[in-house]
Amino acid sequence: MRLTDASVAIRPRSAWEALDLGVLLARRHAGLLMASWALISLPVLALLTALLWEYPSWAMFVFWLLKPAFERLPLYILSRALFGDTPTLGQALRAFPRLLKPQLIASLTWRRLSPTRSFDLPVLQLEGLSGAARNQRLVVLGQRDTGAASWLTIVGVHLEMALWLGLVTALYMVLPQQMSIDLDWQKLISPDAGNWLWLDHLSNLLYALALIVWEPVYVACGFSLYLNRRTALEAWDIELVFRRIRQRLGGVAYALLVGLGLLLVQPMERSWAQDTPAAICPLPEADPLGPDADRLQQQTLTSKASRAAIGQLLDAPPFENRQTVTRWRFGDDPQKDVDRGDVESLGQLLRGLFHLAEFWKSIDGIALFFEVLLWAALFGLIGLLLWRYREWLTLFATGREKRQRVARERPAVLFGLQVTPESLPDDIAGSVERLWDEQPREALGLLYRALLSRLLGEFRLPLKSAHTEGEVLQLVEELYQDDLSAYASRLTRHWQNLAYGHRPPPLSSRDELCQGWRQLFGHGVPR
Amino acid sequence: MSDQEQPSATPAASGSSPEVQRQRAIQLAQALRHELQKAVIGQREVIDDVLTALIAGGHVLVEGVPGLGKTLLVRALARCFGGEFSRIQFTPDLMPSDVTGHAVYDLASEQFKLRKGPVFTHLLLADEINRAPAKTQAALLEVMQERQVTLEGRALPVPQPFMVLATQNPIEQEGTYPLPEAELDRFMLKLRMDYPDAGEELEMVRQVTRSARADMLEVTPLRTLLQAKDVLALQKIASDLPFDEQVLDYAVRLGRATRNWPGLSLGAGPRASLALVRGARARALLRGGEFVIPDDVKGCALAVLRHRVRLSPELEIEGLSVDQVLLQLLEQVPAPRL
Repeated sequence: MRLTDASVAIRPRSAWEALDLGVLLARRHAGLLMASWALISLPVLALLTALLWEYPSWAMFVFWLLKPAFERLPLYILSRALFGDTPTLGQALRAFPRLLKPQLIASLTWRRLSPTRSFDLPVLQLEGLSGAARNQRLVVLGQRDTGAASWLTIVGVHLEMALWLGLVTALYMVLPQQMSIDLDWQKLISPDAGNWLWLDHLSNLLYALALIVWEPVYVACGFSLYLNRRTALEAWDIELVFRRIRQRLGGVAYALLVGLGLLLVQPMERSWAQDTPAAICPLPEADPLGPDADRLQQQTLTSKASRAAIGQLLDAPPFENRQTVTRWRFGDDPQKDVDRGDVESLGQLLRGLFHLAEFWKSIDGIALFFEVLLWAALFGLIGLLLWRYREWLTLFATGREKRQRVARERPAVLFGLQVTPESLPDDIAGSVERLWDEQPREALGLLYRALLSRLLGEFRLPLKSAHTEGEVLQLVEELYQDDLSAYASRLTRHWQNLAYGHRPPPLSSRDELCQGWRQLFGHGVPR
Repeated sequence: MSDQEQPSATPAASGSSPEVQRQRAIQLAQALRHELQKAVIGQREVIDDVLTALIAGGHVLVEGVPGLGKTLLVRALARCFGGEFSRIQFTPDLMPSDVTGHAVYDLASEQFKLRKGPVFTHLLLADEINRAPAKTQAALLEVMQERQVTLEGRALPVPQPFMVLATQNPIEQEGTYPLPEAELDRFMLKLRMDYPDAGEELEMVRQVTRSARADMLEVTPLRTLLQAKDVLALQKIASDLPFDEQVLDYAVRLGRATRNWPGLSLGAGPRASLALVRGARARALLRGGEFVIPDDVKGCALAVLRHRVRLSPELEIEGLSVDQVLLQLLEQVPAPRL
């Protein structure tokens, strides 16, 4: 490494300026970086996709996990390019397997989630350090600029997501509308159908494409941060200045050095000569006690007395402020328990747990009681709610079909009339004829009741008590039996005339109606 | 109707037996219906209901989206009816005095003279009634119930028969004022006009495009069939139709059922039962019947009840309409037997 060959101006920068330099670096070598990244990452993605076709998210996860491995190639290219030795694409790719080897497992596993990944990578790859040496180095390097490195990673995560989402959205927007609707429907109808896997893989591919753009920048920024840190630590800029001076003054310097050497020979010899006599300032004798030894013992104030006085002074205010605090506390100092030994306390704890279990067993009965109580309360509440809203439930919660089926189960009393076949005489027409003269209303009523009974029983008409005569007629007409309809309308007319108009039916209608009844239904009772 | 050429023979004029009078009244009512059906294509039920209200002496509120012929129907009725007809277009700035009338100072005679408003008529069309604020709507309260207007302290009767036909548009909310309950209760029927079916619409478009004014149906070719006194006679005949106790009971039960029906937070008042009975009589006459049967009551129950009840909030949230709940009610209230 020759700093003079560096293609960037080496000077101490702020962390953000260094990141900017990284972006610039990545941009200068964008073609090479992106092509090499694509050439190593896309085949891996293809392989993963093929292997994990059924599990697109796993393929994505493994690919994401492998990112640090891919990052070594851009760093290699950048480190060479920094000193003007830009490798070709082929050279870079050939170097890649060799780059992969050191500490690959660590990079892919426990160091994978390190937020300062790109900042640390040069230590591993360019300096070849590992283990404790690497850690020491990282501590030194990481005294500054780790914040910027972490921010770089965080921003990178967001940039990746933004690019990926943007690509997905762009893809979605260029879909023809018909197709996207179709897609939505199919997704809605059968979300588990296998034919959507390719869509997931497509989104994986979009993520890989987003990485092609971002990853070289990420590596370059980490690298430039690292360079900046080393510039500061090792004073590369000063070194560079010196080198430049040396280059400029190359020839003159030697001459100057020789001349200077000649000039300095005399005084030096003289000083050696002066150095030979006894030392002007001899080293003090080795004192075993040092400054603490008793001195000045002949004086009125010995060193010992003065030390005691100083100690006394230092022990009193304002140097030392003592105060006595009196407070209440529990007799058992918890500190003592700890002192008694861990084994004993552990045993006590176990015994306590054991006691606790026994205690729980004893209150099992109570728990059971409360459980029963709570369940009973819940069921009671449900029952209360059902009772409170019973009208609602019968009206609106029961299905329409169910209600109709209930209605079809031949009610015995319909419209306040007995309509079961058993309640009717066997020979309807005969009974009607007998009744007609004395009680025309009963006779017609019987006939009408018999008609309703037949309609319910034989024709399975869903009659309800809310149906008026007119509606019954309409239902009969929906059966499309002309004879029945004509007869029913005739009978209903007579019945209405009698019941609501209070007009007795003409005598001639008796035979007509009974005849009609016999023709339609014969003599017997309905089945 | 084959015998529509002599309906102008007024039923009241002939002093013959009630049976003959009733037959003539039926003929007249059916001729009127036929004439209205010529003007308003389709909407047979609405026409029947309007005639029901006319014969029963009630007022009608017609509700429907624009363009279904609400106003046309009323204009056609006015055309067939020889009496006075006036129309008020309700606007947000309409004042009560614009409806009932007011006193003006006459410079010539140097005293105040009463100027009667448009309510002094036989047929009153209150077009888009919910566009006027409540105070103007309230101007109709007295005249609709008591058939009189109090102006300057004097109660002035309106001519008989008197019928208000109001229209409103259910879909607009902006700038409209919903009718208060008291006002709604005074309408005997509230009719819903629905879209015509395909065949009727085809026929209507054919007729409209054939006419000279190519955007609306003409009512000019309709004949004047009845005068004011004919309507009074029709009302008299209808009110004389026999009404069986059972059917009366059914009508009252229907009205009462709305009051404690789950799903209705507000039931119908006694006016509903009255309206049901009057409506059933009118329908029986329109049907050509000689007495009232439960079908007549049931037939007009929806129109009578739908504006007098209020749906409970739960069902409103569920999206049920008043008509659906009322149909359920009609399905469950037993019809009279024996």
